[in-house]
Amino acid sequence: MKITKKIITKIEGEATLKIHKKNNIIEFAEIEFWQYRGMEEFLKNRPYMDACVINPRVCGICGHSHLIATSKAIEDALDVKITKKAEILRDITLGLEIIQNHIKWFYLTLYPSVKSKDYFKALEFTKEISKIIALIAGQFPHNSYSIPGGVTCDLTNLEIIKIKNYLLELFNKYQHIMDIEGKSNDLEELFSDIPKTTGKGLNRFLVLGDNLFFKSNGDVKYIKEEKSTSLNKNVMYKDKYFEVGPLARNLDNKIIKKVYETFTDSVYTRIFARLYEVNLIFLYLLKIIDKIEINEKNYTKPLKKSGKGIGVVEAPRGSLIHEIEIENGFVKKYNIIVPTQFNLSNSTKENPSPAQSALMNEDEKLSDFIFKCFDICAVCVSH
Amino acid sequence: MLDVQKVKQRIAELRKLPGIAPKSISEILEENGFTRRDFLKWSGALAVTLGLPASFAPVVAEAAEVSDRLPVVWLHLAECTGCSESLLRTDAPTIDDLIFNYINLQYHDTIMAAAGWQAEENYEDALEKFKGRYVLCVEGGVPTKDGGEYLTIGPHAETGLHKLKRTAKDAAAIIAVGTCSSFGGIQAAAPNPTGAKGIHKVLSKPVINVPGCPPSAKNIVGTIVYVILFGQLPAVDNFNRPKFAYGLRIHDLCERRGHFDAGEFVEEFGSEEAMNGFCLYKKGCKGPYTFNNCSRERFNQHTSWPVQAGHGCIGCSEPDFWDSMAPYEEPLANHKFSSVSADATADKVGITILTVAGVAIAAHAAISAIKNPKE
Repeated sequence: MKITKKIITKIEGEATLKIHKKNNIIEFAEIEFWQYRGMEEFLKNRPYMDACVINPRVCGICGHSHLIATSKAIEDALDVKITKKAEILRDITLGLEIIQNHIKWFYLTLYPSVKSKDYFKALEFTKEISKIIALIAGQFPHNSYSIPGGVTCDLTNLEIIKIKNYLLELFNKYQHIMDIEGKSNDLEELFSDIPKTTGKGLNRFLVLGDNLFFKSNGDVKYIKEEKSTSLNKNVMYKDKYFEVGPLARNLDNKIIKKVYETFTDSVYTRIFARLYEVNLIFLYLLKIIDKIEINEKNYTKPLKKSGKGIGVVEAPRGSLIHEIEIENGFVKKYNIIVPTQFNLSNSTKENPSPAQSALMNEDEKLSDFIFKCFDICAVCVSH
Repeated sequence: MLDVQKVKQRIAELRKLPGIAPKSISEILEENGFTRRDFLKWSGALAVTLGLPASFAPVVAEAAEVSDRLPVVWLHLAECTGCSESLLRTDAPTIDDLIFNYINLQYHDTIMAAAGWQAEENYEDALEKFKGRYVLCVEGGVPTKDGGEYLTIGPHAETGLHKLKRTAKDAAAIIAVGTCSSFGGIQAAAPNPTGAKGIHKVLSKPVINVPGCPPSAKNIVGTIVYVILFGQLPAVDNFNRPKFAYGLRIHDLCERRGHFDAGEFVEEFGSEEAMNGFCLYKKGCKGPYTFNNCSRERFNQHTSWPVQAGHGCIGCSEPDFWDSMAPYEEPLANHKFSSVSADATADKVGITILTVAGVAIAAHAAISAIKNPKE
């Protein structure tokens, strides 16, 4: 048996893969992350509102998810209920963040690991999408419009019409990437010489957030974090590893389910679910935007000053958990668990994490590709 | 004085050097459906952003055409990739993207085509081949504690600190993109567990800072093009920020400024005052203390900016803003220094923030609240 070390880049940071192989077939892979920033440390003893400004900086790609998870955790701790309008606006911006992430991931990260592709297609999309987010949130990336108790913006009817038009236009444009039937030329081209059954995971799925149309199938209290061999931490649910992300949360969709039944939880299914989720989110956003009551309040003031709370959202890459303990308006303790920790825990050969399982028994040539199909975010891991 | 002739001479010299891209910029633009006219329009707009006279527009275009003679090497340190994200959203039409990718494509971690070992090799190649010619852009602060071991990069587990020093040695110019590389950023917030610093603290060469969290794409591209145009760093303020972008305070051109002058303030989110778009100073807006062009240029193709969305400026382009501007939702004048971490930085705040102007602004807010005719 031989062990080779491989550096995975272009995942918004980098990871190290130690591949144990025999005749170029992977027997086992160790996953390591060697960056650390200490985000939870500098949240301590600050006013809790500061968390809303600091936390998005965990990640420049999905910072918005971190912002909303923070707001939700504080709302949970201080017993605030936000209005329907604020909830819809948050769903729109978070949904758009997921969409732009998926498109960019497909063309900028995943495609180049197999063949070259024109990535301007992706940039054109993200540009328009960030414009919509900016209309609601002020700017993208890194905005602060979501606060515990609601949102700061006050949209006019004209802006809502604008947003709706943008959404429709982009949805129609997206049909060229993957249509509502699930047909995608670019995806088929990507798999022209890779078997669609490559890279099977654990076939165990977990959804913890309930934003957008996602339904939770678990309880956060069973989550356990433990030390790993490198600078990240492993995450288990009821002492087992689970896969989180677009495939996990969309298994009740007919079209995705059909693909899943044909190829099980392979790389192809995972990519398909991610690309198809974009369609589902567009349709959902177009539906809820009509439900905005323009006269409803944007903000409800928190009255309590202390408490413990948990905020969970379905972020682009899966379930994102923020835990906070507030004492007299100041942060006493803060903990962040990111989706990449679930999917890329570094465990043993006997009890592998989803990504380790997907890599095992596959050709070493494909390791980069299989690894990236989980849409890894090393920046989030190194918080 | 700016001398067009000198710049033209410089461009002519650059043109003689071999480029890194397989195609010329005009070919690439044409392939992507841009006309010469679009290109010149873009050059004109960029000349204005840089504060150059209109006669410079054609020269800016020429500089863009030879931009691949000075390749840009992009180094990621301790950061969140938000600055690159900002860059990927540069102004429509996408000429900025094209030009930026053209000069930079091969050595940018997130968008380059190569990956893994191959990427590392490309990087080393570039340093050797373009020795003394490349422009180094750094995104992210540099962890210095324990020899910098909180950040290691690449197959040889090199520390970020070492890689930065090595790369900076033969760079023609060094640009710190974003608050992290300019001043340490979020990693450097108290208690600064990794000993993160702005890159100018560990380098002995001049560094131009383009802070912001993230900085607008216009400011990033503008600074790089300026360096290519003149072969020198643009005029800067006392924190080494280019004056064309950081010359004015957010407050100076803020759309809510009229309300500030009239003493009309938002006291609570969701209130009637908030709906009327009153001034956010009392909700912690740091616009009066922050030098940047957000209120003029806005973000995402001039669509909006945080103050327009109803949240105050957090002062993200100022040194140590993570500590000195906190708490972010309260006016600086009410600064209580009540937290343990904030105590350590109270001295710094005294120097950088509470200037005479700062005190006067707080006084204005207090006085105008008393004589507000509406109450």
